[in-house]
Amino acid sequence: MQQAAPQFAIRVSDLVVGFGRQVVIDHLSLHVRRGEILGLVGASGGGKTVLMRTIIGLIPRRSGEIEVMGAAIGRSEDRSTQNAAGRWGILFQQGALFSSLTVRQNIQFPLRENLVLSEALMDEIATAKLEMVGLLPEDGDKFPSELSGGMTKRVALARALALDPAIVFLDEPTSGLDPIAAGDFDALIKTLQKTLGLTVFMVTHDLASLNTVCDRVAALADGKIVAIGPMRELLQSEHPWVRAYFHGKRSLMLQPKAS
Amino acid sequence: MAKVNDIGRSAVGAREDVSVFLQMLGSLFLALAGVLRRPRSLRLTSLVYQLYRVGWQAIPIVVLITFLIGAIIAQQGFFHFRKFGADSYVVDMVGILVLRELGVLIVAIMVAGRSGSAYTAELGSMKMREEIDALSTMGLDPVEVLILPRIIALVCALPILSFIGSMAALYGGGLVAQIYGDMGPAIYIARLHDAVSVTSFKVGIIKAPFMALAIGIVACSEGLRVKGSAESLGKQTTTSVVKSIFLVIVLDGLFAVFFASIGM
Repeated sequence: MQQAAPQFAIRVSDLVVGFGRQVVIDHLSLHVRRGEILGLVGASGGGKTVLMRTIIGLIPRRSGEIEVMGAAIGRSEDRSTQNAAGRWGILFQQGALFSSLTVRQNIQFPLRENLVLSEALMDEIATAKLEMVGLLPEDGDKFPSELSGGMTKRVALARALALDPAIVFLDEPTSGLDPIAAGDFDALIKTLQKTLGLTVFMVTHDLASLNTVCDRVAALADGKIVAIGPMRELLQSEHPWVRAYFHGKRSLMLQPKAS
Repeated sequence: MAKVNDIGRSAVGAREDVSVFLQMLGSLFLALAGVLRRPRSLRLTSLVYQLYRVGWQAIPIVVLITFLIGAIIAQQGFFHFRKFGADSYVVDMVGILVLRELGVLIVAIMVAGRSGSAYTAELGSMKMREEIDALSTMGLDPVEVLILPRIIALVCALPILSFIGSMAALYGGGLVAQIYGDMGPAIYIARLHDAVSVTSFKVGIIKAPFMALAIGIVACSEGLRVKGSAESLGKQTTTSVVKSIFLVIVLDGLFAVFFASIGM
């Protein structure tokens, strides 16, 4: 099926995004390889989420090119972007589950909209996806308001994976989870990426998940990618913001013990 | 200087409001055209549910309020007309006022407060929880999925509610006529029959879908303008109700001018 598969899952070149007079993303270029987990770090309010939302077409850009799986992305209303929608799954920061639908209906929603399947088959798929993210089939009948934070994220991930996308975008997947749940979630993402061959684009602040699951880490500062590479390369980066980020008080656990 | 500044700001704000309204109207018609081309893409479940909510569930309160309004007008009419011995003309006043203006206006204002605010709050909280973004990233048009069924439901429900409301108001008037004005039901109905024509009814009911469209568009576009905070949700809901009531009354005025000029 993979006819001349492009080497890069996401190609962003020379992207400029701004609101009013403020420029948030300033001539940014970023390539995400197929099958890797890329972590994006940056200051709070520094444009990480803006970058992700621009790639998926939610925020209009001023200039630049975005390609996802070889297809150019326009605005979210464009037909080409909507066609691309089947190829990605998105996990929003707060889950963004449809509150009027049950968990099962939430997972089935992308299937119902895009494919013609029998109810029995859709129930089977929903159960399979629930199991995939480590939830019980009984949880399928709950409403989003009855779920805990960790479960919401798992259901949101199950919905993102409903159409078996090639790319998953995760917006702070472990924020608000306790360390055990966050660790489980990291392991889950790693397993899914290995078994399904997913490309994962992950916006995160969680140093532990950057360290354990990400193949490469990109640092966003002043609207540009200032450093990109495996974690150990970033730890040696000379850029002042990157140094401050990875060598601050909270980051000491990443450093080899100097004893 | 600050005054001038404020005037400038509100002028810019008003222009933005108009452009938001027109944008929503445009995307609504685009979505409607899409549905007309592929009738299967209409969200029937959602439409029926919204009709149930804004139509069926609104009936008791609409009937109660319009009944009271009809009764109050009739009571005031008897009280004042009696001085001139013009008791029987109260029926003319009640009939024409209710059918032409008040029935539809009162119901539209109530629907704006009841269902318009609900639309704004729902869409606003969906926007806050990124549910609307999730829809667009799944390749779906939020206007087609969420807004079109809501507005169609409103456009269908408001004429029906106006009719029910007008009937309730006439009934209220009749009841007062009997208790307060010593006018039996038979005489009331006969007077009503002479006083009002189908034209008065048509003039009233024809306004309802337009008012519903205005309420729906304002409510939905204000909902989509909600930013990430709870405060903004409250603010937009208030704005939505105030604006749609204002628009309903302006529309009513425009229709009055229009009908006067074509002699209806």
